[in-house]
Amino acid sequence: MSDQPLQGQVITSQLIASLAARTALETPGVLRLEPTIHGLLARLGPAALNNLRNPGSQNGTYRHDGVTATISDGTTHVHLDIATDITYAALNVAETVRERVRENIRHTALTPGPVDISILAIEHHHGTTHA
Amino acid sequence: MALEDIPLLGCGRHIDQLWATLHQPPTTHEQQCEQCKMARTSLQRLSEATRSLREQDLNDPALKPRPGITNAIMDVARAEIRRSKRIILGSTEEGTTEISEQALSALIRLAATAIPGVHSRRCHIEVRSSDPSPAGEDPRSRGTADAGPHLIINLRVAAAAGIDIPRTVQTLRQEISSAIPAGAGIRAEIINITVEDLYDV
Repeated sequence: MSDQPLQGQVITSQLIASLAARTALETPGVLRLEPTIHGLLARLGPAALNNLRNPGSQNGTYRHDGVTATISDGTTHVHLDIATDITYAALNVAETVRERVRENIRHTALTPGPVDISILAIEHHHGTTHA
Repeated sequence: MALEDIPLLGCGRHIDQLWATLHQPPTTHEQQCEQCKMARTSLQRLSEATRSLREQDLNDPALKPRPGITNAIMDVARAEIRRSKRIILGSTEEGTTEISEQALSALIRLAATAIPGVHSRRCHIEVRSSDPSPAGEDPRSRGTADAGPHLIINLRVAAAAGIDIPRTVQTLRQEISSAIPAGAGIRAEIINITVEDLYDV
């Protein structure tokens, strides 16, 4: 038997960000996540080093293109910047994304907190014909 | 104490004081004091070495950001400016939903392209909070497009010379008032259209 202790799996803010981003991108009507200057600078600045040293933690914030996730005392807070397909009502898309993200976070045993969504662009999907 | 750690010259002056005034002409004391003169000479060498290293770093290709990084930052910065202000569509305990003015303008401009004889120009959007539900009415029964804020759209257009302007503007207004709920899920309450120019077809 190994003397190495078994390491517990920890749900990090990076994992929550990744889960939220994937969930959003799989929701019909979402074209992409939109990078913002805030997110980009966070990626290039000291926060980037922090992310490399400690890729998300159980009490911290993780930012990547278009998604920010924070875990505080077992409750998550997610912010998503999205672009939506013009053939869908953006508000309904945002609602669906929110419900799905919260549902998926519930599966991690953390408490889903607010999921803030910014619709930054509404565009035609490639292959969608103009009305 | 920390203050005592600052190196003092034999004449009692702080070395930091000399460093701070290094680029100014020496004072009468500094011209006569041997310790100050020596310290100034040493500090001038240090200052020159620092400047040289700084310039070296500025011209070192290894320390320059890759062109892609600068372009990426500029692309995102330009996009952020274009997106303009954000309009809050709704806020609950489960989160806030907001939309950029640019996203709404895109819907409006697209609607305008469907109407022959008008070219959309500047578009400014204001928000009015939704009215409280009439007594006894369940707000949820009013439908998604009636919930949340109502928009006041101010659109400036150029019209083709010779068209029936009132009729065209009315058609454009109807097109926009259908496009906003369909694309964004909210209602455009007031649509002000200003024909500010005529163009030859």
